[in-house]
Amino acid sequence: MPKHSLAEQLDTLIDSVIAAPRGQSLSGENNELIPFVPVARVLHNLPRPDFKQILKSDLLRMEPMKDDAAVPTPTHVRPSFVRPGFNNIAPYIVVDGATDFIAFLQAAFEGAERIRMPRPDGKVMHAQVDIGNSAVEVGDVSAEHPARPCTVHLYAGSADQTYALALKAGATSIYPVADQPWGDRQGCVKDEFGNVWYIAMPNGWDPGPEGVRNIQPFLHLRNASSMIPFLQEAFEAEVLGMAKSDEGELLHSTVKIGVGTVEINEAHGDAQPMPSYLHVYVPDVDDLYGRALKAGAQSVESPSTKPYGERSAAVRDPFGNTWYLATYLEGAKK
Amino acid sequence: MNKDFRGEGLPAINQTVDERVLVEAAQKDVRRFADLYELYFYRVYAYVSTRVKNREESEDITSEVFHRALIKIKTFEWRDVPFSAWLFRIAANSIVDHWRKIRHQENASASDLENAQVSDADIERQAAIFQLVESLPEDQRQVVHLRFVEQKTIREIAQQIRRSEGAVKQLQFRALKKLRTQMEGADA
Repeated sequence: MPKHSLAEQLDTLIDSVIAAPRGQSLSGENNELIPFVPVARVLHNLPRPDFKQILKSDLLRMEPMKDDAAVPTPTHVRPSFVRPGFNNIAPYIVVDGATDFIAFLQAAFEGAERIRMPRPDGKVMHAQVDIGNSAVEVGDVSAEHPARPCTVHLYAGSADQTYALALKAGATSIYPVADQPWGDRQGCVKDEFGNVWYIAMPNGWDPGPEGVRNIQPFLHLRNASSMIPFLQEAFEAEVLGMAKSDEGELLHSTVKIGVGTVEINEAHGDAQPMPSYLHVYVPDVDDLYGRALKAGAQSVESPSTKPYGERSAAVRDPFGNTWYLATYLEGAKK
Repeated sequence: MNKDFRGEGLPAINQTVDERVLVEAAQKDVRRFADLYELYFYRVYAYVSTRVKNREESEDITSEVFHRALIKIKTFEWRDVPFSAWLFRIAANSIVDHWRKIRHQENASASDLENAQVSDADIERQAAIFQLVESLPEDQRQVVHLRFVEQKTIREIAQQIRRSEGAVKQLQFRALKKLRTQMEGADA
């Protein structure tokens, strides 16, 4: 008879525990396996992976109703859940060569480096580059975080000039700047790191006194229309605009989450899905994390308070994008 | 609580965390109840799951316990017993209510439950294992959840996570070995 490995014997033992968790039918086991029996019996009662967080989210939603008089609403205690200067959903772009990528953002888009935190090996652990009124975050690849390029809609003062600067800085043209039927003057480039940039400016429409966000992530998805209800349920997203084809295909939608916006459409031609890292500030991380799990997201990181004054968590949506949710805690103290 | 059975991942009570400070903070500001929840979730769940039959009941009752505790937190008074005793009393009452409601065991009482053969050390041990699962590497944690919570076979898990059956068995073995080792370390 072939000798079974310890891993195989353990699996047989686990079958016995699952079949009779409190039974005594585990005699005759390999002595090496006996210490595993109590562990397996305990694991048989393990709660579902999301249960702890979902219950916490339910409790947090319940408490203001129980104590309205004593507990101010979040808007009173937290006038700003967004880190100052952060006005958009930031694409978190992980590249091999973050220093060169930051130089590209500076040369092509007049990016202003705000934060750079080095790793011990000299690579970039985390950086923030502001482009106009918006932020792009950057990090070097690591074993845990492989390269993640992103598709970005970039509004510039002059699409033509910015497009030219991007090419000069090493990007490749996907299509040149031209007046587009939807009312933008727009061209498209791909940088040397694999990111796609729609470089646009309003053409014949007035963005109003607030102007446009200079940076918006753009998600090309398969079965994109199903992303909308997910974002509404998970992140309390507000749909600012949506256009569908006669066949129901999502042609374009702009969705607001927190103070930022993300654009979504059905993947087509060269515009294919690029699962991205996205960083968004929300009023209550714990609440939205719980909602997101209920809506079908996978947990990447459960909520925790960070030493830099934020509470944050991360979830992966059904399309493979990772959303880093953050609440700026210092705003509540002001 | 018996610290001998505390695993690395389970926050200690009265050692690194001042239970009384947390309770008083939650009484002043119910939003701080979240800190107590983090400290006691797995302990309450372990208390409940050792006394009821299945996961669904354990989760329902645990949910009931924390909802009741949140509502009553302002009425809690220190009487030389740990806060966990108050939570376990709520848990015992919730289990009895559940039995009466679901199984019509009218004669069940909370004192019967507290006589059950489950020691504080057992509760701590189980809570520690639950907490330690959270700290396993992602692939091992996923296999543990699929195997024990969803009760899938090795073959089903292998198909789902696109790994070989041998690789899944190894992940499962490494996960349980780590849990066992950490528990033994805590017991030492």
